[in-house]
Amino acid sequence: MLELKNVHKQFGDNVVLKDVSLKVEKGDVVAILGPSGSGKTTLLRCAGYLNRADSGRLVIGDKEFDLKKIAGKDLLDYRSRVGFVFQSFNLYGNKTALGNVTLGLTVAQKMKKDEAEEIGRKLLERVGLSDRVDYYPSKLSGGQQQRVAIARALATNPEVVFFDEPTSALDPELTGEVLNVIKSLADDGVTMIVVTHEMEFARKVATRVVFMENGEIVEENNSKDFFEHPQKERTKEFIYKSSTWASDTQIDGSGI
Amino acid sequence: MNERIINELIESFGKLLMAGLKVSLPLTIASFSAGLIIAFLVALAQIAKVPVLRHLVRVYVWIIRCTPMIVQLFIVYFGLPSIGIKFNSFVSAWLVMSLSVGAYCSETVRAAIQSVPVGQLEACYCDGLTFWQGMMHVIVPQALRTAFPPLSNSIIGLVKDTSLAYSVALVEILATAQRIAARTYDYFWLYLEAGLIYLIICSVLTVIQSRAEAALERRR
Ligand SMILES: Nc1ncnc2c1ncn2[C@@H]1O[C@H](COP(=O)(O)OP(=O)(O)O)[C@@H](O)[C@H]1O
Ligand SMILES: [Mg+2]
Repeated sequence: MLELKNVHKQFGDNVVLKDVSLKVEKGDVVAILGPSGSGKTTLLRCAGYLNRADSGRLVIGDKEFDLKKIAGKDLLDYRSRVGFVFQSFNLYGNKTALGNVTLGLTVAQKMKKDEAEEIGRKLLERVGLSDRVDYYPSKLSGGQQQRVAIARALATNPEVVFFDEPTSALDPELTGEVLNVIKSLADDGVTMIVVTHEMEFARKVATRVVFMENGEIVEENNSKDFFEHPQKERTKEFIYKSSTWASDTQIDGSGI
Repeated sequence: MNERIINELIESFGKLLMAGLKVSLPLTIASFSAGLIIAFLVALAQIAKVPVLRHLVRVYVWIIRCTPMIVQLFIVYFGLPSIGIKFNSFVSAWLVMSLSVGAYCSETVRAAIQSVPVGQLEACYCDGLTFWQGMMHVIVPQALRTAFPPLSNSIIGLVKDTSLAYSVALVEILATAQRIAARTYDYFWLYLEAGLIYLIICSVLTVIQSRAEAALERRR
């Protein structure tokens, strides 16, 4: 349903992704785990075409895109099939919650305003923000902002949504409301790839877990087996450390 | 100050104010509008790293900032006709002042655009918008808000700079005062009155500025 094929990316001499391939079935929730600097963000950004890969392809449904270059009509088609949620929300500061959700629909997809707003209201309701439709981002809490961002990512009814550490920028007491929304999407069968450091989330919500290190996928399995029967030494160590007291390996401020 | 001067000042007040409203203010608005467009294009050419153009605009900014406006006015109004390009006083002043606003405000605008987190532009891309659509719908509106206070200061500066157009035979506030005084020899009083007219216009603009700032602040 969705397949990343041989995604390669380097910044100068620094090879960040080494021919990464990943297959995702419809309805899967894939958690990507891995230490800071292992290339998780870069993988999502290449798959989301925010960075150009040096090579690599992305198959979504019946279409295949070249991650090195997507242009013109293909790009708009691609954008409508893929949603992206950032660590830092990146809501439009000059738009209300509703305006954030509808901008892409009206401007890029050329949808009529009423039609877009109907979709926008439904999506905001879905993330529990019916009462915040007309609020500007600066008047919303971090958790509410991230939920608006999720609604925005869902606007075109994409076939897959990428999340890059959706709760890392939030105060601990606000992560729950965002993870609950993501879980409810999972229950609705939305296909998602989530880079995360939330082990509980990976255990309970993800259907598959991918462990990355040094630009490669070290191990990949369904989430039950991944945690209960990790195969590689490195994976065992990572799970052990992350599940106990090792927050220093979890902090990831590498940004772009 | 005798009765004759008082009557003269009352009579001339209307003329000076009219010169302000019919010449200086339109010149300010026309120059500022055109200048702001130039400023945005200059800023965007640099931010979008448009090849060649990004270097050309830097040369433009350098030349405008490092030559006096009055010299630029003389070149356009008195100089260009000798190579067959002729503009009237108003158009000459408008050209020079637009280019000046464009150069001086481009840095303000650039800083304001760059103060909007780049992630918002990436979010635009994810929404399917192009660079220019993202700029127009998301980045520039927020940049304008940030740039509003410095830009309105530029407008007020510009009102005062229109007096330089006196030197290229534009009959604005100062030239009007000068003409009346040339007849009556009351230079002191008429130049004081000209100053008062600038004071009034700029004060009104200052009030509008602070109201507008408050209104913008409420909308975020
Ligand atoms: N824009 C960039 N320019 C140069 N190097 C980058 C850039 N983005 C990421 N990197 C490098 O790529 C590597 C992987 O980073 P990243 O994908 O952010 O890892 P993760 O999200 O797993 O922490 C790091 O070594 C980082 O320094
Ligand atoms: Mg990261």
